[in-house]
Amino acid sequence: MIVDHSLYKDTLLRHYRQPHNKCDSELKDADIVRRGANPRCGDEIEVGLYLDGEVLREVKFRGRGCSVCIASSSMMTEAVSGQRADDARHLCEDMQHWFQQGDGEGLAAPPADLQALAAVRAYPARRRCVLLSWEALADALDAV
Amino acid sequence: MTAAVQNSMAADRLDPVQVKRDFPLLRDAPLARGLHYLDNAATTHKPQAVIDAISDCYAQAYGPIHRGLYPLAEAATARYEQSRQTLAEFIGAESPDRLVFTRSATEAINMVAGGWALPRLQPGDRIWVSRMEHHANYLPWQRICQQRGAELGIIELDEDGRLDIAGTPELFGSRTRLIAVCHVSNVLGMENPIQPLCAEARANAIPVLVDAAQSVAHLTLDVAALGCDFLTFSAHKMYGPTGIGLLYAREQYLAEMQPLLLGGGMVDEVGEGNAPSRWSDGPARFEAGSPNLPGAAGFAAAVGYLDGLDRERVHRHVEALTRVAAMSLGALPGLRLLSPPESSAILSFTMEGVHPHDLAQIAGERGVAIRAGHHCAQPLLRHLGIVATARASFGVYNDQDDVNALVAALDAAGRVFPLEPS
Repeated sequence: MIVDHSLYKDTLLRHYRQPHNKCDSELKDADIVRRGANPRCGDEIEVGLYLDGEVLREVKFRGRGCSVCIASSSMMTEAVSGQRADDARHLCEDMQHWFQQGDGEGLAAPPADLQALAAVRAYPARRRCVLLSWEALADALDAV
Repeated sequence: MTAAVQNSMAADRLDPVQVKRDFPLLRDAPLARGLHYLDNAATTHKPQAVIDAISDCYAQAYGPIHRGLYPLAEAATARYEQSRQTLAEFIGAESPDRLVFTRSATEAINMVAGGWALPRLQPGDRIWVSRMEHHANYLPWQRICQQRGAELGIIELDEDGRLDIAGTPELFGSRTRLIAVCHVSNVLGMENPIQPLCAEARANAIPVLVDAAQSVAHLTLDVAALGCDFLTFSAHKMYGPTGIGLLYAREQYLAEMQPLLLGGGMVDEVGEGNAPSRWSDGPARFEAGSPNLPGAAGFAAAVGYLDGLDRERVHRHVEALTRVAAMSLGALPGLRLLSPPESSAILSFTMEGVHPHDLAQIAGERGVAIRAGHHCAQPLLRHLGIVATARASFGVYNDQDDVNALVAALDAAGRVFPLEPS
């Protein structure tokens, strides 16, 4: 029973191996920092927002997690850096819906650069891994 | 007698291929095609004999237990009590009256914590657990200690990962009220030295509760030989049904234990208004509500199935397979085996550069079912300095083919996440 629709697509693995906007040290100079944790697997992600008024000039993250968690964090920072806070909030909501509703029918497809996460939708047990950084981002956006 | 039993009688070894034929899901279910089920420490599959016993119960002898005076009710009651007798023989209990059917091993431990230990626990007293306990054998003790201002002591592990009993001088001290330890660790798979521990505890009049959830399927349990005062396990990890477990308690302790669940079937005389009620004697006192007859029948059938395979042969088979798997896994680059060499049935490991979730996912995609996470043993994982492990656990239906598939899957994971990206 070798499943051919493997979760581990190139884009996901590339983001895992060389994550974008990932810091090794504390996100000290960020305007807002929020943390997301999944005690079930010990994954922890901290998301930092660098603001320019209502615009997310830069979004960075740090922490530890599985490939899905790290890749999703990396893609998240890519997707929302440079966006207005409101647009980022909408994207957070879309991501939540996209992963939490059965087949996601009737939902706008996520932007092309997040499509690599689509494979994860077939694995409900990994939803938390994908969404951890997005939840931390949503928390941070609440403080903008 | 099942086909597997008949065919393996002559041989001294268990034939897992024959055994697998006794398990309808593994044999026929579409989801089991190409499946290498190595998550037996989480739960085991059910042989036809167990499924038949449950179904036969509903089809032939179902009725109220201890409540009816007509033949069908008597037959149902007899079947329920016969199951208790079977379980008593299975663990070498002096009498079936020492056995309480519970919903699970978890419930059984909670019953002892709340019903026996809590009422006699004083501030400054100690209850001891080990570093390697499952949350089910940790949290109930932690809570009653918090409630009473008592202390939860932890038997730490020595450098080799074994219980450091010698390094815990207060373990058998005068303030110790109870010691609760697992027979076999659900993460590491090693067997704890229950016999000497119980002997020393008894010499100091300290009761010991043994969580046998991870040993019952492949070790022979004998409460007299172990010398324990309480013993618990569940049916679903020994090829029996989900939703039923067992508590064994020595006579004195069972008599002292208070019921946590009150209701029908556990009371002899109900007081008027605030007047005290008088509980029934024996196991009935702890089995309020309508007993789980099909569960008990399936539980007893699982005992019969294991006995039919021969428990000594089951043990040898699972142990040999664990040995072979440990050797093969140990040879994989970047793989760190956390289980000590004598571990049986369970192997925990990590792989450098691969998160255990990714490891289990890649294995899953290749039909190999293993577990990843903290295995409900956070205190142990904290001690090991890791947040999660991958775990493979073996049962009667596993064979070399499953080990090969596991090794191939881990090898594949190593290639998806190479230590030196190409």
